Amino acid sequence: MAFNILVTDDSETMRAVIKKTVSMSGVPVGEFHEAANGKEALAVLAGTWIDVILSDINMPEMGGMELLKKVSEDEDLRKIPLIFITTEASDARMEEARKLGVAGYVKKPFQPETIKAILYEVLEKAYAHRLADKPEEAAGEESDF
Amino acid sequence: MDEDLRRIIFETFSEVFETMFFTFLEPLEEAPGKEELGRGRFIEAKISYSGGCKGDFLFYFPWELGKNITVNFLGVDEDEVLDGQITDTAAETANMAIGSLLGKLDPGGKASLAIPQARVLADFSPETMLDEVGLCMFNTEFGTLWVVGTHE
Repeated sequence: MAFNILVTDDSETMRAVIKKTVSMSGVPVGEFHEAANGKEALAVLAGTWIDVILSDINMPEMGGMELLKKVSEDEDLRKIPLIFITTEASDARMEEARKLGVAGYVKKPFQPETIKAILYEVLEKAYAHRLADKPEEAAGEESDF
Repeated sequence: MDEDLRRIIFETFSEVFETMFFTFLEPLEEAPGKEELGRGRFIEAKISYSGGCKGDFLFYFPWELGKNITVNFLGVDEDEVLDGQITDTAAETANMAIGSLLGKLDPGGKASLAIPQARVLADFSPETMLDEVGLCMFNTEFGTLWVVGTHE
């Protein structure tokens, strides 16, 4: 089963690096989609099936925390796991993200292995939820990251 | 700028450059003499933060250094790299370096980073920075990285 991945970062080169890292990790990728900020990400999510969102926090127009808030408030979108890949990974910021339901985070600078490990962990959970065919429970389940 | 802050900056920037760009930094204790400083193409990247603490940092990358870290970052050949990618990488470097630094200086996360910006300086000389109090210099294989910063 291949996964559609949305990479959200205002740096085009960082998006390219993240896509390359994920491609080389062995995670089965269906399609990559890209967005340069939270607004663009929401536009992609409105019209495209996405399995996981990889997002920066510090972005113009709409940052990652606001994107996470919008996603968590939407009945359908909140089923999509969101992983932060960010420099802003202070305990306070991550506690705020955890309360909003973030699935995990990777701190920049990152090793490719770190992205691979967290992505596998998050996707396996999402895949298990689909197999169980109980989306209403999955949506309400708390992340233990 | 006190010595503790200089040490933290060096450790933090080294981690970013080694992890993301496979590039090693060596701190320069003394600035080169004016006669050794040429003029050339540089990339200026700036970023600031405010909240529980505030700071401003300017990075000056010699073009060759900017190009080299972009090549290593993207994992492509030298002739495949576009000028826009080099500028973008410089901005992202400032973001990662100062974001990581802020994580150490402000572990409570009260301060927020601004959006980094970068531009090409076609004919620049670092001579203008020699008297800056917050000047840090790092030697690399592709020239000296110049950083001027304040933190309070």
